[in-house]
Amino acid sequence: MAIGFDFNPQNCTECQRCMLACSEVKLGHIQLRQSRIEIIRNWPELPVLDVCRFDDCEEKPCIVSCPVDAISNERGIVLIDGQECNGCGECVAACPFGAIKQDVEDIAYKCDFCGGDPACVKECLTLALVKKE
Amino acid sequence: MAGSMHDRMIRIDCTASKVTLWGVPEALKEYVGGMGYGTKMLVDEVNPGIDPLSPENKIVLTIGPLTGTSAPMFPQSCIVTKSPLSGTILNSYAGGFLGAEIKFCGIDGIIFEGAFPEWTIVLIEDNNVRFYPADPVMGKSTRETEMYMKDTFGEDVRTVSIGKAGEKKVAMASTFSETRTFGRGGTGAVFGSKKIKGIAVRGTHPVNVADPGTFKELVAGNMGILKNACSEEYNLVGLFSRVGTGAGMGLVNSRGTLPTKNHKYGSFDGYPEIDGYAYANKFYTRAVSCYGCPVHCGMLHKFVRHDNSHSWLRGPEYETMYALGSDLLNRDPVTLAEANELCEEYGMDTLTTGVVLAWSLEMAERGILNEPGLSLKFGDSRSILELLRKIGEREGIGDLLAEGPKRAAERISTDNIGIAMQVKNSGFAAWMPRRMKGVALAFATSNRGACHKRAPIGAEVTGQIDMDTIEGKASLVKEIQDKVNACFTMIACRFHEFVTDEEYYPRYIEAATGMKISYRDFVRLGERIWNLERLFNIGAGFSRKDDSLPERCFEPVLGENSENAVIRRDQFEEMLDQYYRVRGWNDEGIPGKKKLKELGILEYL
Repeated sequence: MAIGFDFNPQNCTECQRCMLACSEVKLGHIQLRQSRIEIIRNWPELPVLDVCRFDDCEEKPCIVSCPVDAISNERGIVLIDGQECNGCGECVAACPFGAIKQDVEDIAYKCDFCGGDPACVKECLTLALVKKE
Repeated sequence: MAGSMHDRMIRIDCTASKVTLWGVPEALKEYVGGMGYGTKMLVDEVNPGIDPLSPENKIVLTIGPLTGTSAPMFPQSCIVTKSPLSGTILNSYAGGFLGAEIKFCGIDGIIFEGAFPEWTIVLIEDNNVRFYPADPVMGKSTRETEMYMKDTFGEDVRTVSIGKAGEKKVAMASTFSETRTFGRGGTGAVFGSKKIKGIAVRGTHPVNVADPGTFKELVAGNMGILKNACSEEYNLVGLFSRVGTGAGMGLVNSRGTLPTKNHKYGSFDGYPEIDGYAYANKFYTRAVSCYGCPVHCGMLHKFVRHDNSHSWLRGPEYETMYALGSDLLNRDPVTLAEANELCEEYGMDTLTTGVVLAWSLEMAERGILNEPGLSLKFGDSRSILELLRKIGEREGIGDLLAEGPKRAAERISTDNIGIAMQVKNSGFAAWMPRRMKGVALAFATSNRGACHKRAPIGAEVTGQIDMDTIEGKASLVKEIQDKVNACFTMIACRFHEFVTDEEYYPRYIEAATGMKISYRDFVRLGERIWNLERLFNIGAGFSRKDDSLPERCFEPVLGENSENAVIRRDQFEEMLDQYYRVRGWNDEGIPGKKKLKELGILEYL
């Protein structure tokens, strides 16, 4: 199975429903600043997508950057172990896609592809965001 | 579980730069939120007789129970204040992302009282409020002010700002939030009177709902309805989603109800050059949404100005295609886009500004008005753009026009008020009262003046009901006014109700907040608010004489063959009598004791 997203910014209307869905699934409520996927407005130009690219990120610099080996590649899905994370923020700086955030205690978190069936993709009616073929 | 309202608001005493976190009293919670909160608070706290531009006026900026949730088509926020344009109580709405951000602050709204001694930018982060001098952006456009706030406070703040028109208290100045606008009624001038140049908001609070399971089902059902609507060829919401609100201009034109040349004519042969399809073919780049909305009716256009510089615009919207297009005999889409852009830059309502422009061009045609260096001819690009700039600057003739169509006409001579297409100094929206009798009554009786949001537009223009008859229009208009007021307590986008079953509203409220309300009581709440507004307006000096239409409405529409292309004065008065009766008001339009008792607001008499 391919892991990752195809993003067609021309189709993205910046409605943020992908972010809403992510927030509801991961947090149980709406808190968009903690959503694992983010659409960044760039008017009048096309929006930018901030989320882990999985298969499309060959180097996976976050894994290399982590001093405590808290980030692993589980069959293509890159995961952060919050228990192991020491909050140094190296992975945030290393990620070329702005896909990793830190919580109030500096613990890093990111998209886990919902285990293979991402909620954000299902929410996108314009098909700007689809699962990688 | 905690509901979706936070039950507290931020109160800012601008005069003293003092901030209070204010608990929402139980009596206010019955009003659900949005327009309900704003109206009740303004009526309770502001003397209707005050000067709207004095420190005694207040700005109540509110959101509703579904704002910031995953429910689709609830992105808007609402400003209630006393209007400097109409002198009535005003509710004005803007979409975009501001509403959700206010919710993320953990509050249900912000109240501005008094006036700052110096021009100020207000930063609200959760419930922390800070004030900054606005000097670097004084005289700057709404877009520049927004960019300054984002540069200063961070890209992720949501903003609202005024342009030069608001600074100079132009009566129809509006406030802008990332191209979405609190357009009607002069909110920008009230901001200006309080020396508020801009507000930036950033929130980190979670948004919860009382019953997440039921809420999720409702959202899924509602999303299904909207998805279907968007894929249907002849669904209005579907058309908006593909082409934007300008999609229907051809239909309006074919019905002889497209106001043209200051409402003299009912159709415009130039419409195919400026309607939604024309912009889609020539300037389209992509569609953009408000928060959480699958309809994406916003259309981003790129165009080249007359001076060959490049620009972009979200819009124009249908109403603007009329006000700065057909009503001015302007068939040039670039002039229309530039005019729209100027209104955005200066921060002005395209509707009332367009109406006052149309009036001034007709006055020039009659040889009564002139302005050095301008031809003031209908359709003349330079006159249109230059007049807009002059209004924004209050320069030359612009200073007169900045007062709004009725006040401008009064200053010249009372003979000309009949061709100022306004009610209570608020410019007509893009519909012809003479052709659409329900719209005539809705314009005349609106609590904020010439308002299209509570008019039977869709039903009349599509022919679902006969637009020529006055039969049944009184109760129809009352029904719509009450229903839309109710929907505005939740601040549903006006298009939401076009396709969503009415039963959704009470179910949404209960799932989000835990508050039980029947649909009947929900509409009754809308009626209660309508009556509170009416009482405020009566206190401000309004009466039956103000529920009227300009003289031109009682003359035939030129170029239309139908003998019904006119509304007779006796027909209009009959409709008004019927309307007062169905409202439970007396012949002068004053709510009776019985009605107020029935609505539970007798103490306001």
